[in-house]
Amino acid sequence: MGLKHRGILRIAYVRLGLNDNRLTQSLNFYRDRFGMLESMRDSERAYLRCWHETFQYNLVLEQTAENQLIEIGFHLRDEEDLDQLTDKIEAAGIEVEQSPANEPLKGMGRSIAFTIPGGQRLRLFADMAQSGYVTGFESPDWVTPRELRGTAAPMFLNHVGLTSADPGATIDFLANVLGFGLSEKIVSEDGKTLSGLLFRMCRDVGGQELAIFPGEDGHLHHIAFTKEDPNDILIIGQYLREDGINIDAYGPTKQSYGNTFSLHFFDDFGIRLELCCGGRNIDAHPESEPITWTESDLARALSYYDSDVNPGFLDHSL
Amino acid sequence: MAISRFSYANVRVMDLQKAITHYTDTVGLRLVESDDQRAYFQADECQDHHCVITTLSDRAGIDHVGFKVNDPSDLVEAAEAASAHGLAVRDVPLGEIAGQGPGVMITLPSEHNMLLFYHADKIGYAGGMHNPVPGVSKNKIGAKVSHLDHTLLSCENAQPTVDFLTEVFDFSCTEKVVDPGGNIIAAFMSCTNTMHDLALGPGPNGAFHHMAFGMHSRGEVLEGVDILKEDEVPALEYGVTRHGIAGVTTIYFHDPSGNRNEFYNGAYQSPGRPGLVPPIIWDVENFSRGAFYYENAVPPAFFDEVT
Repeated sequence: MGLKHRGILRIAYVRLGLNDNRLTQSLNFYRDRFGMLESMRDSERAYLRCWHETFQYNLVLEQTAENQLIEIGFHLRDEEDLDQLTDKIEAAGIEVEQSPANEPLKGMGRSIAFTIPGGQRLRLFADMAQSGYVTGFESPDWVTPRELRGTAAPMFLNHVGLTSADPGATIDFLANVLGFGLSEKIVSEDGKTLSGLLFRMCRDVGGQELAIFPGEDGHLHHIAFTKEDPNDILIIGQYLREDGINIDAYGPTKQSYGNTFSLHFFDDFGIRLELCCGGRNIDAHPESEPITWTESDLARALSYYDSDVNPGFLDHSL
Repeated sequence: MAISRFSYANVRVMDLQKAITHYTDTVGLRLVESDDQRAYFQADECQDHHCVITTLSDRAGIDHVGFKVNDPSDLVEAAEAASAHGLAVRDVPLGEIAGQGPGVMITLPSEHNMLLFYHADKIGYAGGMHNPVPGVSKNKIGAKVSHLDHTLLSCENAQPTVDFLTEVFDFSCTEKVVDPGGNIIAAFMSCTNTMHDLALGPGPNGAFHHMAFGMHSRGEVLEGVDILKEDEVPALEYGVTRHGIAGVTTIYFHDPSGNRNEFYNGAYQSPGRPGLVPPIIWDVENFSRGAFYYENAVPPAFFDEVT
């Protein structure tokens, strides 16, 4: 009892499998050019985090035969939440896999993994080791570390976009079973939900931790990271282009849907990444009401600034 | 469940019409409703009824701060927990404050009144709730404030309030300033995943230091400074600056009754529960850099001028 924030507290990490011998190319991209910090590395995996993050990882890379989204991790308050959510997920008819601490990922407590309607795997846990802030805990300079300047140097993992053959079912599960709120949605002319932005966290660059788009089950649409403001994103866009990184046809734009200023681009494996700032201000409260978009306004929802159509934008990237 | 939002500040003002002009024309809030005693305002990117109430009084300062809970039963639980902690609690019936449901008023150890409530009437985002215009209308008057973000309240000794908020109301402490003896001089407390929803700083008990309005970019903070200068709003001598604590871009200024306001932009994210991440500790020698990163000195007015 007591007034406690329960359940999912924050989005923690994305785990990718890449056909990349010894992770050479992916580390070259994510660590050296994108600007994440390498927290840990073993024979199987590399664990990377954003510079403003204290927890050990926001991105886990491992070598696999085919490129794939393995799972997305969410941090719960405590073990009691882990047990309660296990019961709720099983009661929804979904099989739950239990894993002991440090398996499969290091630095993590006991965890559960399951497949959501839509086909992606999520992992929930209540404990993750911390690397500590790279700028220190004592009278720090909260400034992008010198060695990361000139890279994208994301501050935090912000949200992950997924595709689902039945977005309505995916959104219902995330809301009703896992306790996400809906900040925005896109509905068809006949009232069917085509897309939704789901959130648990209230923060400055907020309003979504998961974005569900229509498409094939089991795929990743994009991974988004937080930057401070549009100016940072415009400057970093120059660095990315100079570095030969493939920038999405939208270029920098205001995404009306989600209320972010965003730049989408692709890593060396074709995975769509986003740098975003701004976001929808909404609180985790049962009476919060979502913004509603109609399908006829889709182009303006996805990019307020661009007047040309970018049909590939809704395709999954992994 | 839990406290889900710093919802509003009810500040005392000596001239209601001047306050309305300030909070709409300069700060850029929407005037939601007013009578001869109070005015209610909301920022463009919040869907609830109000984020600021100005109440006519013979002195400036803070009447109370409002926080929303996300389960109606939290109100009973919070009242019982606060009473058990020895704090004064009173019920605030429906109708006492426009645009929201009943609540419980708790007097914190710092002698500030904190109102918890569950329901807020909805006015929607300024751009609308359906196929909205993102960003700001060309007809917008005032600064491009997106939301009310946090408040800083003054008190002689922050420790008992920090303890209460942490242990009973589930706030986490993201950063704090301590003296050589380890005593808290200032503490930054969050009930969400932001850096702070409620901060405590040195000064007389019950005093109001400032409330801060969030913006989406540093560019909008600069535009806000231009508006303050054009409107000849009294501001701290530093103009735009950066806090070393939190690492955000900021300017402080005052409403016509002297209550301090802030425009700020930042993206700091906190983990969402107390004890998960140890707080950043600022020592006294580094405090000036923590308060004002560029100038590296704290003007006396910063702590002397509270309401």
